[in-house]
Amino acid sequence: MSEKPERKYTTVSIPVQLYEKIKERIEGTGFTSVSDYVTYVLREVLASLEEEEKEEVFSKEEEEKVKERLRALGYLD
Amino acid sequence: MVERVFVIGLDSAPPELLFNEFKNELPNIKKLLERSIYGPMKSCIPAITIPAWMVMATGKTPGELGLYGFRHRYNGSYNEMWIANSKKVTEPTIWDYLGMDGRKSILVGVPPSYPPRKINGWLVSCFITPDSSTEYTYPSELKQNIESLVGDYLFDVVFRKNDRDSLIEELEDMTKKRFEVIRYLMSEKEWDYFHFVEIGLDRVHHAFWKYFDEEHHLYEKDNSYKNVIRDYYKLLDEEIGMTLDFLDEETAIALVSDHGVKRMKGAFAVNQWLIEEDYLKINNPEVLNRGKQIGLADLDINWKKTIAWAWGGYYSRIFLNVEGREPEGVIKPRDYEAVRDEIADVIKSIKSPEGKKWNTEVFYPENIYPVAIGDRPDMMVYFDNLYWRAAGTVGHPFNYLPENDTGPDDAVHSEYGVFSLYIPEMEGEKVLESTIYDFAPTILKLFDIEVPMKGRSLI
Repeated sequence: MSEKPERKYTTVSIPVQLYEKIKERIEGTGFTSVSDYVTYVLREVLASLEEEEKEEVFSKEEEEKVKERLRALGYLD
Repeated sequence: MVERVFVIGLDSAPPELLFNEFKNELPNIKKLLERSIYGPMKSCIPAITIPAWMVMATGKTPGELGLYGFRHRYNGSYNEMWIANSKKVTEPTIWDYLGMDGRKSILVGVPPSYPPRKINGWLVSCFITPDSSTEYTYPSELKQNIESLVGDYLFDVVFRKNDRDSLIEELEDMTKKRFEVIRYLMSEKEWDYFHFVEIGLDRVHHAFWKYFDEEHHLYEKDNSYKNVIRDYYKLLDEEIGMTLDFLDEETAIALVSDHGVKRMKGAFAVNQWLIEEDYLKINNPEVLNRGKQIGLADLDINWKKTIAWAWGGYYSRIFLNVEGREPEGVIKPRDYEAVRDEIADVIKSIKSPEGKKWNTEVFYPENIYPVAIGDRPDMMVYFDNLYWRAAGTVGHPFNYLPENDTGPDDAVHSEYGVFSLYIPEMEGEKVLESTIYDFAPTILKLFDIEVPMKGRSLI
């Protein structure tokens, strides 16, 4: 007997209106359930957020500018 | 429930001036207070612009946000640091909750809001913005509208020691432009929540306090800058008056500050003191006696023998050199608590230059926050109840400096800022005390949203 890797699930709540909207949207697509679609979208969003967080916010030059100002304001020493 | 909420954020507005000393000269603010609940609002620890505005917006502690000031160390480094910015705020804000509810927000200058993040509405970033050549709005097209309206938009002013006259002009210019942008946004865009922060008030306090406060140790009688602070409050009042005229009767109006302000008694050279106490070891002690101040980054520190070092600012962060945590850590984890308690005790025993007792407080992050994520300092120190700021530089003739080490600054932060709230159809005024943690639940309650938070709704 082959063992399937166990996948655990939990329930989250979304507004019924949103649920209906998603249900309409996935009709005729490869998504077989609202849950599948929601999981897919959330994974995408999280991945792009993580990507964004890794990006440098300030260039070297910009960072110096900000630090210089914060120093003049007494926040850095 | 109300239709809309408009929040006036005045960075560092203290209850003493806004509710008392200047109140009768500020007709618009006075009129607002006369029909509001208002009073002093206790800030977070640390009582600093960043994190305080985000504590207000999220209802979370600095420890939960992982924001303890403007700068933080990169994990595993002594000197490499990152500057706080909008991407470091990962807890949901008032406008995130409202956005989930389909409501629109407009934010102007709420720190930290650079780089501009996507919100359900419109955003103009804060004084952390490097300059106006960057993308500073959401959506990015908004920048063009702003520039056609006011030209070069100003995020902040820079203190220059001997040029206070031009500072006054810049402050006025910056503030007038900001309010023009605010009025443009509030009348042209659709919104449910509007929150702006004017940083100019904090800057005018810091730059001109000694000219205004007769108790300040550097106060000069009959100086020509005596009324600069007062005049700036009047400018704010005028601008606020013009702005409130744009609101309908259905809008609730809040006025808040992130912390207060009071006279600076001086700066305490905390790293120089740590060197004297043998907690901080340097390989080039001769630099201490050259009559020239130098920063921590330029010191040749003997990390293998160093127990503790500090960062200066309105409050001081003290870091311990812990084995396994710092690159050349020396304190064994099992000795950590004993070493920290010892240093805390010595810090609390530091006296004034005249030998008088100081009211110094030492906080351990894990004692004051439910969790302390990110680069938490080992100790957070309020020297003499914040009257003395901390100087991180060394090379001073004494540990007690009459002036700030990093440029002219005459004021320090105080723990109490202000809160006021007008709700439509409310009659009369009511005075109450609140904490910064009450702000988010109060505003959300106005929109019928209840989220469990540390603070309580004031309505």
